[in-house]
Amino acid sequence: MTIGITTYLIYLAVSIALTIWVARTLHKNGRVFLVDVFHGNEALADSVNHLLVVGFYLINFGYVTLALKLGYVVTTAEQSIEALSVKVGMVLLVLGGMHFFNLFIFSRMRRRSVQHTQPPPVAPDAFTAVHQEA
Amino acid sequence: MFSLTVLYDPECGLCRRAHEWLAEQAKIVDLHFVPCASDEARRRYPQLNHDLTKKDLTLVSDDGGVYFGPKAWLMVLWSLVRYREWAYRLATPELLPTTKRVVSMISQNRYQISRVPVVNRLTR
Repeated sequence: MTIGITTYLIYLAVSIALTIWVARTLHKNGRVFLVDVFHGNEALADSVNHLLVVGFYLINFGYVTLALKLGYVVTTAEQSIEALSVKVGMVLLVLGGMHFFNLFIFSRMRRRSVQHTQPPPVAPDAFTAVHQEA
Repeated sequence: MFSLTVLYDPECGLCRRAHEWLAEQAKIVDLHFVPCASDEARRRYPQLNHDLTKKDLTLVSDDGGVYFGPKAWLMVLWSLVRYREWAYRLATPELLPTTKRVVSMISQNRYQISRVPVVNRLTR
């Protein structure tokens, strides 16, 4: 096995492991948030949580696959480590970006759902009698 | 609060256009539209000063709270899914004075604004 192929295999192993770790963290800790957003509807929260994680996996594995090619020949262990640092670093940044994007979506969903029960922004100027409909 | 009644000026083109726009928006709280100072308005709110409702937009909640002018505008925004956030933003102490000024200006000049060709085209 050449050093180039070893580099690719290490890259794939590390990237896949990282993606799975981030996705599981998101899945585990996002659930509480979603249950709150959906007012305790756990079935719906689990379903949305699962769909979000599927999207997360697709985007990240898609990136990892597309970014695989090095474009030059790796001959020494030193070059291999350098190539890995660039590739894995990029994967980490994409994962971080995706993670914050997910948090942003969660917080926006939560804000929206909380807003539906918030009181009016201003107090009435006066009160009047309302004729009740028969 | 489950519904809000908007007492609008049926003779103003801008108000009619706003009415059409509001009818299409997704709502958190239902809006009912009743022409101001009409028989229907007098029947619903026998104790309200209906001459005042002709001067500026008035809104009455189902529990009898009366919102006048800029407050009525903010309450209308508050009833909409997409603009509730904006109602809170515009009602903050920093922005409320500006909101009131702008809303009063539009309200007082609503007949002139309705005559502006672009608005006119939209309201026909």
